[in-house]
Amino acid sequence: MGNQKLYKGSLQTIILKLLAKNEKMYGYEITQKVKELTKGELSITEGALYPALHKLEAEGFLDVEVAKVDNRLRKYYKLTKNGTKETVNRLAEMEEFLKTMQQIVNPKFSLE
Amino acid sequence: MKLTKEQIQQLYKFTRQHYVEHFDVQTELVDHLANDIEQIWKEKPNLSFEHARDISFKKFGVFGFMDVYGARQGTLQKKYIKILWQHAKDWFKLPKIIATFTFFYFFYKGLIQFGDTFALSVLVVLILFGLVKHILLLQKVKKRQKLNGKKWLLEDIIFKGLFLGGGMIGINLFNIINISSPKVYNTYWAIFYAAIFTIMVVYVYMSAVVLPQKAENLLVENYPEYKLV
Repeated sequence: MGNQKLYKGSLQTIILKLLAKNEKMYGYEITQKVKELTKGELSITEGALYPALHKLEAEGFLDVEVAKVDNRLRKYYKLTKNGTKETVNRLAEMEEFLKTMQQIVNPKFSLE
Repeated sequence: MKLTKEQIQQLYKFTRQHYVEHFDVQTELVDHLANDIEQIWKEKPNLSFEHARDISFKKFGVFGFMDVYGARQGTLQKKYIKILWQHAKDWFKLPKIIATFTFFYFFYKGLIQFGDTFALSVLVVLILFGLVKHILLLQKVKKRQKLNGKKWLLEDIIFKGLFLGGGMIGINLFNIINISSPKVYNTYWAIFYAAIFTIMVVYVYMSAVVLPQKAENLLVENYPEYKLV
């Protein structure tokens, strides 16, 4: 369990990235996938995941699809065209952020 | 091990007991709980359904489903405003702008000629119309929901959601008019109030007449599961 606060601001980017890779996913699947990819380091809470998904949907970045699976209805999320564009932007922002943090946390000194 | 149909129904009941009464929000929560319960059973197959459900529910934190519910409500209210605006836009374009302008001109003339009396009369008519319509819509939505056996969050917003907010603005206008307006309106005040009244007419008409009439189509458009159930 890492410091969840540090991940908080990146939740939407994480969701977008996962959806870019997996085409369509449902809420629980996203939490499990994140756990698996980070080997349990990051666990998205239910109270944070759905508000983030709904917000992305309201902004027009996600589309929903509903299917009947195992006696129940399942809501799938997938990227819209705008969502795909947004993912590229957000990932670029994230790269930039990581680079900046790297410079602060672990500065490389050179003679130049 | 998969959940049975009865257990899924019990989960719907469980979300209702925890203050989530709209089917669209319930459905997502039920699927989440069901997936988690099945996952818990993989590790502890002897756990009872109720016990596994409670473990899963605890993960939602001290506020239970409220965070998810509140966020969904906020999202749909924003969506409602967007829909309202999409429909209201037409009233500021040809040909409907002619009707809008006629209203504006009528209010402007009335204000110049009769001042406060006219302003208050317009507000009384608008608020009364809004209130009567609101009561009728509340009855209508109650009937609908009873007939369908399901409540949809967007349906509630369309039939009773933001309309009251509009009424409150109207009532507050009473105070503003009493404080700020001169006895006889000069051109600028008349234009200002005529514009506000015109916007109110469009708003009341959209929220109390047009959107409730289109409710069925709006629900089909916004809920992929609406036709499924």
